[in-house]
Amino acid sequence: MLKSTFLKAVAATALTFSTWASAQAVDLQFYFPVAVGGKAADTIQELTAEYVAQNPDVNIDAVYAGSYQDTVAKAITASRGGNPPQLSVILSVDMYTLIDEDLIVPFDDYLTTEEDKKWLEGFYPAFMENSQTGGKTYGIPFQRSTPVLYWNKDAFKDAGLDPEVAPETWEEMVEFGKKLTKKDASGNATQWGVRIPSSGFPYWLFQGLAIANGAELVNAEGNKTNFDDPKVVEALQYLVDLSTKHEVMAPGIIEWGATPKAFFEGQTAMMWTSTGNLTNVRDNAPFDFGVAMLPAKVTRGAPTGGGNFYLFKGASDEQNKAAVEFVQWITAPEQSAKWTIATGYVAPRAETWETEEMKAYTADFAPALVARDQLEFAKAELSTYQNQRVTGLFNDALAAVITGQKDAETALKEAQAQADEILAEYR
Amino acid sequence: MTRASDMFDRFLNTFAAWALALLWILPLAYAVWTAIHPSAYEANFDLFAPLTTENFVKAWQAAPFHRYFLNTFILVTMILAGQFLLCTLAAFAFARFEFPGRNVLFALVLLQLLVMPDILMVENYQTMRLLNLVDTIPAIALPYIASGFGIFLLRQTFMTIPKELDEAARIEGASVLGVLWKVYIPLAKPTYLAYGLVSVSHHWNNFLWPLIVTNSVETRPVTVGLSVFSAIDSGIEWSVINAATLMTSGPLLIAFLLFQRQFVQSFMRAGIK
Repeated sequence: MLKSTFLKAVAATALTFSTWASAQAVDLQFYFPVAVGGKAADTIQELTAEYVAQNPDVNIDAVYAGSYQDTVAKAITASRGGNPPQLSVILSVDMYTLIDEDLIVPFDDYLTTEEDKKWLEGFYPAFMENSQTGGKTYGIPFQRSTPVLYWNKDAFKDAGLDPEVAPETWEEMVEFGKKLTKKDASGNATQWGVRIPSSGFPYWLFQGLAIANGAELVNAEGNKTNFDDPKVVEALQYLVDLSTKHEVMAPGIIEWGATPKAFFEGQTAMMWTSTGNLTNVRDNAPFDFGVAMLPAKVTRGAPTGGGNFYLFKGASDEQNKAAVEFVQWITAPEQSAKWTIATGYVAPRAETWETEEMKAYTADFAPALVARDQLEFAKAELSTYQNQRVTGLFNDALAAVITGQKDAETALKEAQAQADEILAEYR
Repeated sequence: MTRASDMFDRFLNTFAAWALALLWILPLAYAVWTAIHPSAYEANFDLFAPLTTENFVKAWQAAPFHRYFLNTFILVTMILAGQFLLCTLAAFAFARFEFPGRNVLFALVLLQLLVMPDILMVENYQTMRLLNLVDTIPAIALPYIASGFGIFLLRQTFMTIPKELDEAARIEGASVLGVLWKVYIPLAKPTYLAYGLVSVSHHWNNFLWPLIVTNSVETRPVTVGLSVFSAIDSGIEWSVINAATLMTSGPLLIAFLLFQRQFVQSFMRAGIK
C-alpha cells in the first residue's frame, strides 16, 4: 500500500517535471528549401533531430518548404500572416529584399562575445559578401555553391589535347574548343567544345565571365549597378563570340537542366555548371572527367551562389538566442562535413576542410577541392534592392544579346538605365 | 465532284484529328517511356532497351507518398463535399427565390471569378491563423469551398429547369428542400459531374497554397512530395521525375479513362469546354 502510494508520488513528480521541462523548452520553426536531388531533405531532418536529442531545452520543427522561390514565398506569407518562422534558409541574394520588407533581424545582437566574433570571421569572405550590408550580418552561409568547369578527359584525348589540362584562360578555352568541336558531313555539330547554359538565370554564369574581366556588377550597398561598364560589355561579347565567331558553342539560349545530360552523352566536351552537380556527374558520367576553376581573363573569377540562414522578426529574445546556437552547431565542422559530403555544397568554413571526414572525402574525390580553392577569387552573386526586378532586367538584356536581337552595348545600356530608375530611391 | 470534295474534307478532318491527338499524347508517351527505362535511355530511343521498375521504387521512396496520397484524397473529398453543399444551396436561392439585393449579391459572387486566388494568399493565411487551423487539411480546403464558379454554374443549370416541374412537385406536397432534392439535383447531374471533375483535378494539382499553409507530412498533399524532385542545382533526373509524375497523376488518369464517356457527355450537356 505504502509502496504504491510512493510510486504514484514519484510518477506524479516525474510527470510534472516533464511537463515543466517541455513548457520551458524553446520552440523554433525552421524552413528549409531543397535545390539538389537525393537525400538533402533527409540530411537536414536528421541533423535537426540530432541537435534536439542533445539539447532537450530546444524544440526545432524543421519544415521542408519547396524550392528557393517557394521558400521565400512561404516565409513572406507566414510573416505577413503573423506567424513567421524563427529561422529560414533562403537565397543569399534575397537579403536586400528581406531587409526592404522588414522581415529579418541581424545576427549581430546575438553574437556579442569575442568567441562569437571570431566564429563569424571563420567563414570564407567570398560567402560573407552576400551576407553583410551596412556593417551588419544578416545571413550565415549554409548551402553555398560556385560554378566550375567540368571537362571530358576522353574527348580531350581524342582531340589530341592533354587530358589532364583544362583551359586556363579565355583564349585557351576558344583554342581548345575549336579542336574539340566536331561536325558531321552536312556541317552540323555532333560535339561542341563548351556549353555555358543561359536559360532561366543567365546572369549567374555570366558573372563568371564579368568578374574574370575585372568588372563588378553591383556595389556593396546593393543600390547601384554597373551593367554598362565596358568590361561587362566585353565579357558579353566574348560569350556571344563563342557561338557566332569561334563556333565552339551551340548558338541561342542553352538549357540549364539539360546540360549535365548533354555532357554525359558527349554533346559537349566542357560544361560550366554549379558545384551542386559534383555528386551527379560523379555518379553518372560514363567517362573520366576533370573539374577546374573557370578560365581567367585579367584574373580568375566566379560568383558564389546558394542559401544562407536568416533570423526572422517577431521571435522572442530567447528564441533568437536558441536559433543562433543551432546555426552555430549546424555550421560546425562535424555537421558541416556531413552536409557537404551528402550534397556537394561547398563547406563555408575553412576548419571544416580540416576534419578527418572531409580529408578522407577529398582524398578520394579531389574535384571537391577545386571549388574551395576558387573561393579566393570569388565575388558576391548579383543582388540588389528590388532584386527580382533588377536581375530580371539584366537577364532579359543577356537573353536579347545571346539570341542576336540586340548588340551587347545597346542592351546593357538600356538595362542600366532601367535599373537606375528602380534603384534611385534606395540611394 | 461533290463526293470527291467530301472525301477530301473528311480526310483532312481525320488527318488533323490524328495529328492533334499525337501532339497531345507525345509528352505523356515520353513520360511513360522514360519512367520504365533506365536513365541512360532518357534521350536515346531504342525499342529493345531494358525495362525497369526501379524509377518507380526510387520515386516512391523519395517522400512519404502513401501518407501524401491519403491526404490528397481526404482533401479533394472534403472540398468537393463542401462545394456541392454550399454551391447547391446558394445557386438554388439565386435561381428560384426573390429577395432584396439578390442581383447585387450575385454580382459579388461573380466578382470572385475575376480575382486570382494567389492574391488572397496572405489574407487567407491570416484567417486560418485566427481560426487556429494552420497546418491542417481543412486550412487547405476552406478558402476554396465557397466557389463562385460552382454557384454560377449551378444557378445557370437550375434556371433552365422548367418551372412547371417545380410547381408540380409543390402541388404534390413537397417542401422547398424536397423540391431541390427530388427535382433540381437529379436534373443537374451532368453539371455536378463536370464541375466535380474540374474541382477534383484542380485541387489534386494545387501546389503553392498547400505548401504555404502546411508544415508537416501528416497534412501535405502529393504535389508537395513531387516538388522534392525539382532539383535545379544538380541537374534533373528525368526518368525518376517522370515516374513520380505518372504515379501522382495516375489515379486521375485511370479515373478519366474509366469514366471517359460520362465525362465527355456531361461536358457537352453542361456546356463547359
